[in-house]
Amino acid sequence: MIDLLDIHVGYGGHKALDGLSLHVNDGVLLGIIGPGGCGKSTMCRVIAGLVQPDAGEVFVNRCNFRTCNRHELQSAQKDIGVQFQNDALFEHITVLENVEYPLKRLTDLRAGEIEAKAVETLAMVGLSGFEHRLPNRLSGGQRRRVALARACITRPGLLICDEPTAGLDPQTSRTILDMIAGIRYQTKCTVLVVSSDVVGLVSISNRIALVWSGKVIEEDSTTVFRQSERKEVQRFLDDARLPFAGWAWD
Amino acid sequence: MDISSQVGGAAVLLWRILVRLFPPRFDKNEFRKCLYSMGYQSLSIMIATAFVVGVILVIQAFVFVDRYGMRSQLGWGAGFVTIRELGPVLLALMFSGRVGAFTTAELGTMTVTEQVDGLRCLAIDPISYLVVPRFLAMVISLTALTMIGNAVALVSASVMGDIMMEVDSHTFWSSLFSMLKVGDIVLSVTKSALFGAIIAVNSCFFGLGTSGGAPGVGVSVNKTVVSSAVAIFVVDFFSTFVLG
Repeated sequence: MIDLLDIHVGYGGHKALDGLSLHVNDGVLLGIIGPGGCGKSTMCRVIAGLVQPDAGEVFVNRCNFRTCNRHELQSAQKDIGVQFQNDALFEHITVLENVEYPLKRLTDLRAGEIEAKAVETLAMVGLSGFEHRLPNRLSGGQRRRVALARACITRPGLLICDEPTAGLDPQTSRTILDMIAGIRYQTKCTVLVVSSDVVGLVSISNRIALVWSGKVIEEDSTTVFRQSERKEVQRFLDDARLPFAGWAWD
Repeated sequence: MDISSQVGGAAVLLWRILVRLFPPRFDKNEFRKCLYSMGYQSLSIMIATAFVVGVILVIQAFVFVDRYGMRSQLGWGAGFVTIRELGPVLLALMFSGRVGAFTTAELGTMTVTEQVDGLRCLAIDPISYLVVPRFLAMVISLTALTMIGNAVALVSASVMGDIMMEVDSHTFWSSLFSMLKVGDIVLSVTKSALFGAIIAVNSCFFGLGTSGGAPGVGVSVNKTVVSSAVAIFVVDFFSTFVLG
């Protein structure tokens, strides 16, 4: 369970988050949308414990990130998988080693078991046969899938995907979002997905949050969210040019 | 970033490194890799630099040694200048250009591509995993390389003295060993260890503080090389002043 209460984060005079509050129940797939620079990624970094807010309270699985010590934070982070916007793959090691890395660092599994799990996870994201390639020999979509495999290999309770579809063609983008939905279905984890592919995001999410000027201004089930009369929501959905007619929300 | 915040930030980083050294909490594999790439792989360039330093030293000293009829003291003169001053400083500058700049570029790239955040998300402390092994490797490598470099510079000075001034190697080495004190060696070791620590802290500080994508990496590398050179000269002055 995630609780953000009145979070403020500033970068050199610019307020990235300005009194943001959010509650996310366990097992939910929350799609996070909003215009560029509104604070979506910063919010994800706060939830992952990578950014310490200037004010406000952050509770992730009952651990208060504002008051806990370094060891408690690290312990909480072990249950969080993050897929970063830039993939954050370690370029000097192979795809397989990248995916094995969290298990090597966070578990006491034997080498054989780790490799088996990594191969299985790579197969889950459709990358069988790519185990021994270096990340710089992969396409953008393949890199995203490796990053996704690395983020979820430890079966974390919370998976955060920051712009997993950025820069990808619509088909690959949809494939990645479907994979995220599949991972959530298999592992029952809580998933936060930031994406500009509003249509794709809505099709896989239980709930949608709209971040606007550093605040969550609307957060609800996809059905209710669509019917919101708030002008920012309508403006954002209009800008996304959503095909409302015959649109499957759930 | 102004100078005070840079110095303050580097001091905080140094404190965090020291906290993780007592008791030791760092990645031993990463340390071994760093020691190999920073120490062993720098050996050839450092030897080449030291060899040239020794040769230039004798060429420059020739005029004065010859004028005052001090040929028999050439070994002591060359050893004194090389071991106490030129060896540690010139080799540290070379080390900063090769290893310090590389470390900043490496950590800077990891920072802007969110690899460092990726480590933190895996509950891996970037200081223990990335910084402390590099700090230790740089201090140990530069100290060892300086000692090797000093020896190479003295050998090349001895050979050049024999060729240019007809100072035979026995005269060269006996004048060196008769006048050289243990304190001179201690000063050389202390300086090179301090310079290694300076280069390590600077390169890691600017590397981890990189922002602004690929251009930001270039800016950080530039800051590392400039600030390390300035700091080396400042610390050289104070260490010479204090340790004599």
